[in-house]
Amino acid sequence: MKPLTFDELEAFAAARPAELDWIRVQLDTGGIAAGAQDILDDLVRLRDEAGLTIPIQSVGSVGYSFADPVVEIQCSGMPHVTYGRVDRHVAEGIIREHATSGRLIDDHVIATRNRRCVLEGPVTHILVRDTGSDAGNKTEFLQFSLLEELKRKGLGERVQVVRAMDLGLYDEGLAVQLLPAAVTYSNVLAPDVARIVDESVVGGRLIDDLLVRDPDRQVRIVLRNCGRIDPECIDDYLRHARGYQALARVLRELKPEDVVAELKVSGLRGRGGAGFPTWLKWQITAAQPSDERIVICNGDEGDPGAFMDRSVLESDPHSVLEGMMIAAYAMGASRGYFYIRAEYPKAVARVERAIAQAREAGLLGTNILGSSFAFEAKIRLGAGAFVCGEETALIASIEGRRGSPSPRPPYPSVKGLWGKPTAINNVETLANVPAILLNGGAWYARHGTEQSRGTKVFAVTGKVKNAQLVEVPMGTSLREIIYGICGGVLDDRQIKAVQTGGPSGGVIPEKHLDTPVSYETLQQLGSIMGSGGMLAMDETDSMVDVAKFYLRFCVDESCGKCAPCRIGGYQMLQILDRISRGRGAPDDLATLRRICLAMQRASLCGLGQTAPNPVLSTLRYFEEEYRAYIEGGPAFARKMSRSATSPTAAPVREPATAAS
Amino acid sequence: MTPTPTTVPSEGHDRGPLELAQCDEGTLLGMLDELERRHGYIPRDVSDQLARLIDMRLEKIQRIQGKLDSTLRRDVLRHVDAWRDEEGNLIMILHAIQNEYGYVPREAAMELSRELGVKLARIYEVLTFYHYFKLQPPGRHTVVVCNGTACYLKGATDLINELRTRLGIAEGQTTPDRAFHFDVVRCIGCCGMSPALVVDGKTHGRVKSSEISALLEEARKKDAAR
Repeated sequence: MKPLTFDELEAFAAARPAELDWIRVQLDTGGIAAGAQDILDDLVRLRDEAGLTIPIQSVGSVGYSFADPVVEIQCSGMPHVTYGRVDRHVAEGIIREHATSGRLIDDHVIATRNRRCVLEGPVTHILVRDTGSDAGNKTEFLQFSLLEELKRKGLGERVQVVRAMDLGLYDEGLAVQLLPAAVTYSNVLAPDVARIVDESVVGGRLIDDLLVRDPDRQVRIVLRNCGRIDPECIDDYLRHARGYQALARVLRELKPEDVVAELKVSGLRGRGGAGFPTWLKWQITAAQPSDERIVICNGDEGDPGAFMDRSVLESDPHSVLEGMMIAAYAMGASRGYFYIRAEYPKAVARVERAIAQAREAGLLGTNILGSSFAFEAKIRLGAGAFVCGEETALIASIEGRRGSPSPRPPYPSVKGLWGKPTAINNVETLANVPAILLNGGAWYARHGTEQSRGTKVFAVTGKVKNAQLVEVPMGTSLREIIYGICGGVLDDRQIKAVQTGGPSGGVIPEKHLDTPVSYETLQQLGSIMGSGGMLAMDETDSMVDVAKFYLRFCVDESCGKCAPCRIGGYQMLQILDRISRGRGAPDDLATLRRICLAMQRASLCGLGQTAPNPVLSTLRYFEEEYRAYIEGGPAFARKMSRSATSPTAAPVREPATAAS
Repeated sequence: MTPTPTTVPSEGHDRGPLELAQCDEGTLLGMLDELERRHGYIPRDVSDQLARLIDMRLEKIQRIQGKLDSTLRRDVLRHVDAWRDEEGNLIMILHAIQNEYGYVPREAAMELSRELGVKLARIYEVLTFYHYFKLQPPGRHTVVVCNGTACYLKGATDLINELRTRLGIAEGQTTPDRAFHFDVVRCIGCCGMSPALVVDGKTHGRVKSSEISALLEEARKKDAAR
């Protein structure tokens, strides 16, 4: 492949491909773990046996982790459908039923979130689902009555009624989605069945009182290409995702200062958790007098329960690379490093491939796209140290030393890797950059809140029904994310708290779930945005255990360089351990608070300073639970915690008496 | 030939060095015991012959050792060469070595120390700091339980306890027969299918502790098939 030129890139952008038929299998770590590779092989074999020509592509993940392995299919004359929890039988169905005879497969369809309010064209398929609780599910009843109604109208052959796996609506009664228009009705009652058939299927009119008008709550900027392109193929990125167009625009039209100015307009802040304005970081780095500057992509996603960086690196590595190159241009850097966890072999392999492909296409090296810009990117592997997510420790690790942090200042943007000015950006931050440069900073700033612009990707896991990647505008409430998008709590239990920010973050109790998510609001609640892990906890989860879990993590991961973190963490863990075994003393809580304060004030780096957060925030919102442990022991505390969160029971005030 | 103590001749020194060289250590020791019991001492010519024998064997073993050393040296050199001009290459070379051997052997670390001119203590500082590097050879099978927060909330502790009882070892250890290495890791990023468990690189999602014995049995069967 000879080096690309501006004109060739432009030609890629202009040539919009016609909507073709395809089957996409989502092969990210989660998908592969669930068996997506076997499904891909099965599909290819079955397709060849059936004599079909439909291309089968492997792509990254759109983020439906709860439904892995996921297969998306677009067939001419058929609605665009996503299948979840695909097994051997479903794969067979996809080829033999869906692609051959136009029939969808029951119980595996994930409906599109892109609901519309216009009924165009004849209805060919109807998805049905009881979105209420799992007990007494009426999906089959709805399917049956719709089908009977259709048969009465002589439409039984033309319209297929399919049980969906997920409609993207929760707790809205019986719901149906008419395909291909993606018109959705919720809270459907028995008399409505005839109306839907008469009005909408036959008459082509909308039924206003049932129509779901809420648009998709998610806005996909970072995840724009995830699950849509083949991450191992630069051609796909160039042709179908406006790949490297932002870089071309930057190199051709903008001066480095203009790029920084554009980012300033966008209001993008570091997505690694601290929320430092990205433009400012770049500007400071660019302003340092030095012969060489370095940009680092921090992919050391150490928070347990967070997987958005992995997903982006695996599903869309070129976007991150393009973002890094734009960052390098803006601050005059000539070298870039991806620092990626060794525990993410798939992400490492795909980034490695992306770099090699970009080099081959002349997008790395000297005279990139015929300009005077030169840039090289390399990969460095992490080796399982959480503290290496901290800037100075990360730099030490890239330099081949043990990852101990050093005091700041000097900040890395002044004196970083090998003493050169270095800008360290999170994966998600860099993935945002090409989109901002293509669509303009003002476009990006339209999303989000005054202080926190744009969108944020969250990995929502724990006790939620649908664990998945979610990208929402800043300012979306936690309740909306947990209940509106992820379907609420598993087994319809009562939610107790949401944990954000991993081991450096805190818990947010149920009463604050309506808080709009932004850097500031989460901080006020005693947690942090963090890199974007979000865990739901229900009434059976003990907050003392949760605090202990996170603290043990930080104690294990403490590098041991400074005393407050090394000793303070260990002492707190001892106390928590004592409390959770029912041997705590009443003044333990005061001691805990004192140690927390000392660690926050005196620790050297972010790990030690934030390690007390889980303890402090659980103490702040769930002190009764600690007291219950101290005064009544573990068994009593568990009983208490259940009754305290159940809406009917009044909070018990005197645990000591009940303990005896 | 397998001589028993009864066939040991009354005078040990009537055996030639060639004959002695074919005896195994146990027989030789028995012979020496016998001589000592009879004479109260070991005749000089016997000990001389044995000393020559030991030299011969040592030389053979040294050649084997040398062979091993040179392959190890060649492997280490290959990795070093791939990264020689890179700044901060130590961690990447260690990754490459661990990928090859499954752990970082002490000899490899020593070779690396000579080759890079980095003190062995520096190398071990790095090796022991990062959780990822292993200093002991792994078992034939590895069982890794994810203890990320999502898995923790959904019952990873039960899985860990079950494995502890089934295998009789704590996390980070290998069973005495080197069949299983058992580890607990932070997060493998499969939070959608928690609690997750990785057996020999294959991830199993939504695992219940009752399923563990079947998983271990499956791995053992693979051993037997081999």
